[in-house]
Amino acid sequence: MAIRANPKLIEELEIYGAQDVSKCYHCGNCSATCPFSKDPYILPRRSMRSLQMGLERKLESDLEPWLCYYCGECSEECPRGAEPGETMMSLRRWLTSRYDFTGISRLFYRSWRIELAAILFVAMLTGLGFFLFGMSQGNIHHYDGAKAFLPGEKIHFFDWGLAVVLLVLLATNCARMWWFTIGRDKNTRVPITAYIKSAYLLPLHFITQMRYAKCERKRPWVVHLILMLSYVTMLVLIMFFVKRMAAGPAIDWRVHAFGLAATVGLLGTTIFAVRGRIKKTENHYKHSHETDWMFLILLIVVAGTGILQFILHRSGLDLAANITYVVHLMSVVPMLGLEVPFSKWSHLAYRPLAMYFAEIKAEAARAEARASQGVRAPQAA
Amino acid sequence: MRIGVYLCQAGTGDVDTVGLHSIAGYAANLPGVEVVRELGVLPKIVPDELAAEIRAERLDRLVIAADTPGFFKPAFTRAMALAGGDPKEVWLASFNAFGASNGISTARAKSVLACATLGVPFALAAVPDSTAVHPGTVIVGGGISGIQAALEIADAGKQVFLVERTGTIGGHMAMFDKTFPTLDCAACILTPKMVSVGQHEMIDLMTYSEVAEISGSPGDYFVKVRKKARRVDVDACVACNICADVCPQRVSSEFDNGIAERKAAYIPFPQAVPNAYLIDAESCTYVQSDGAKCGVCAKKCPKECIDLDQADEIVELEVGNIILATGYDVYDATKIERYSYGVLPNVLTALEFERLTNASGPTGGKIITRTKRVSKKRGEEWVFDVEAGEPPKSVAIIHCVGSRDTNHNAYCSRVCCMYSLKFAHLVTEKLPDARCYEFYIDMRAFGKGYEEFANRIKAEGTFVIRGRTAKVFAQDEQMMIRGEDIISDRMVDIPVDMVLLSVGLIPAHGSADLATMLGLATDDDGWFSELDYNASPTETERGGVFVAGACQAPKDIPDTVAQASAVAAGVLKSIATGRGLNSRADLALSDIERRATSLVRI
Repeated sequence: MAIRANPKLIEELEIYGAQDVSKCYHCGNCSATCPFSKDPYILPRRSMRSLQMGLERKLESDLEPWLCYYCGECSEECPRGAEPGETMMSLRRWLTSRYDFTGISRLFYRSWRIELAAILFVAMLTGLGFFLFGMSQGNIHHYDGAKAFLPGEKIHFFDWGLAVVLLVLLATNCARMWWFTIGRDKNTRVPITAYIKSAYLLPLHFITQMRYAKCERKRPWVVHLILMLSYVTMLVLIMFFVKRMAAGPAIDWRVHAFGLAATVGLLGTTIFAVRGRIKKTENHYKHSHETDWMFLILLIVVAGTGILQFILHRSGLDLAANITYVVHLMSVVPMLGLEVPFSKWSHLAYRPLAMYFAEIKAEAARAEARASQGVRAPQAA
Repeated sequence: MRIGVYLCQAGTGDVDTVGLHSIAGYAANLPGVEVVRELGVLPKIVPDELAAEIRAERLDRLVIAADTPGFFKPAFTRAMALAGGDPKEVWLASFNAFGASNGISTARAKSVLACATLGVPFALAAVPDSTAVHPGTVIVGGGISGIQAALEIADAGKQVFLVERTGTIGGHMAMFDKTFPTLDCAACILTPKMVSVGQHEMIDLMTYSEVAEISGSPGDYFVKVRKKARRVDVDACVACNICADVCPQRVSSEFDNGIAERKAAYIPFPQAVPNAYLIDAESCTYVQSDGAKCGVCAKKCPKECIDLDQADEIVELEVGNIILATGYDVYDATKIERYSYGVLPNVLTALEFERLTNASGPTGGKIITRTKRVSKKRGEEWVFDVEAGEPPKSVAIIHCVGSRDTNHNAYCSRVCCMYSLKFAHLVTEKLPDARCYEFYIDMRAFGKGYEEFANRIKAEGTFVIRGRTAKVFAQDEQMMIRGEDIISDRMVDIPVDMVLLSVGLIPAHGSADLATMLGLATDDDGWFSELDYNASPTETERGGVFVAGACQAPKDIPDTVAQASAVAAGVLKSIATGRGLNSRADLALSDIERRATSLVRI
């Protein structure tokens, strides 16, 4: 197969946040520093090389960017100041835009104005929709009961509808990721059994993010884990226990406990991230793409309004609670609807998938090596 | 002649140290200058647009004024050609090349620019006046470059004062076992020269001495030299070693780079010149106790040549020329934590290995690993023990330690690739069963016979791996090295018994003081700045002050010796004619302008 080189690839990646890629002189320092660098996945130098050579198709089929957790040791130790860590980050953004077949992700990453406009548009649409819906059958002065402005069951129905749409979009992106990394690679034949054998990796990595813990500094992993678990808790509460949450004054104490813990986790970690990005406290906070900020701001607004409407409702201020609720939905819908399939949040699927794919690909390669006896791998020097 | 002046910056670091705006104002008033543009940092120059301007303003000559204007020259030449002008009329006013961007002066930058607008090479116009020269020469530093320069000048019958900081001349070369690429015995080349210096009637050798003060002007310098108290009469001492035998104090040996010990009464190495012992005041019990304790060496000395109460002495010299040959130090490897130097016992720096493998070194040239020794008095320590030490089964050599690295030194230290290859040869020669690995970034084998040497080492069975390794660590008592083999595209984790760090070179400690004393410019890395890198690599801005060897920039032995001889030629020229050059820094802007204008008329 002919190999095509895109000489403008570095310039393209720079839009996604890459810096100083061409400074790299391939000493291999970064790969040797990286705790994840292990045959057959050597990172990050190999990606730097592919980038410099403009090997677009190869980069598309690489899993390496998803195996990097950006502890930043490589950038710190880089003798050329070539920022390999940030390159991997930008490659993840670029890959996200490649996996997305609609092209929306690409637009968002290339122009923050378009992303902002889309967020505002969806927010306005949502706000208008819910307001009209609420007016048509309820009273804005009532939070719950028969005349509720936004009755719980209806919202719940909407939640599930949104979830299905998002899952479909995300699933198509994941399918494309599979096609790029495994499907179209004629050299790797992965047997079905391998998929089944390693399937446990998906939930394992999703829940524990244990690879992240391999970084020398553990704090980023802890922060990320708290953020993720808080979100999952919140999601479970909303999707499955919404009735109990809206059950008037007699709320189950367990819901209370989980809700409170998730709230603290969400706000704490988000504020930590915002502060970190402003003060550049951690390596992975040193460079911020516009999409990072957009994501963080949405996160804060969602968490803040969610809690505020709960407090207002508990305090008996139904009107204020209803308005806050609409604002909350106005931020939740664009955040879920745009960030999950098209932007930063999609990594919730790509990360565990990448670990899974990497394992089965490596396993397939090992099996192939065993099968082709006679040709011995060169002796380790 | 209608001239256009374009000011820009190619360096993105410390931008505009020369004051570009004031230079632009100056340029506008120069005769013939019609256009002055300030283009800023790394401007994008579009030849078509520039050509349009050249046509509109009917410019005959373009001057690019920048730190390194050559960076922009192709675009300007193209524009000139597009506009139908003479591409040869693109002149460069290079501030870096003529020392204006080392923070010296805006005036220097202006004079460089004035010469360019007139179409006169700066080096031709900025020639300082000559001055009478005293025939004596002082050489600071007694390494191979100082020795070479001293011999050249003294053999021509002129007086030389060779000032050396340590107790012996010879410098770093005396520590080496072999030289690359010929694998000659370093001592066999150096020691005859050292002996000649010691015996030469025209060389006044001042070891264990330091330059304390320099005053005067080019051609007539007054140099105050502090002769540190050696406490041993150099002429009377016969190097019988009795003082060292009886001395109770042991300290780590500087000459052996800390891999062995010496006494407080010691001689750096047996072939030292002058061949006399000295008493190190800092470790001597007698000196430290103000004469209350010890003093055994003075009592036992059969020649009675030890005077433990000797004091420092200041000697004043009057000379015409000063040669700086202060050499280098090696980069402190403890600054790079990932190599575990100072943590793991068998991680050695290059100079430590030189002593280890040297036939006259502490192990008699046997390459062995450090062994643990436990004693009640000194606790646990790792030492090279000739009896108990095992030869390493595998040795890894890491290139570019502290060099070519923006976190440490951005420059290439030039000698490390070659000495690393030499180490690989010595290891495979002395330990045929040992595996030897070289981790390199780029193999810089640039000199005569060097590439052939590199190929020879590869043929000898050394595993030469492209990829600077990043980690040396211990795993279950076994030292491991981790790196990426870039050419085979895989990670390598290798168990090794010894790691050699090819540390880079840095300016010798104290050279900054010397530069301040002389008002001499150094570059960003601390090396002495020469007058003109291409045309006058041995002279400096200061008249009558020359640089030789590695104090100017990292250099190997052949280059150092060549430069030292070149310096001697410059010094001898000034002594033979009786006239030397004044400092270029003393030239006023108006002088340079006047000279440049007169050169145009010719």
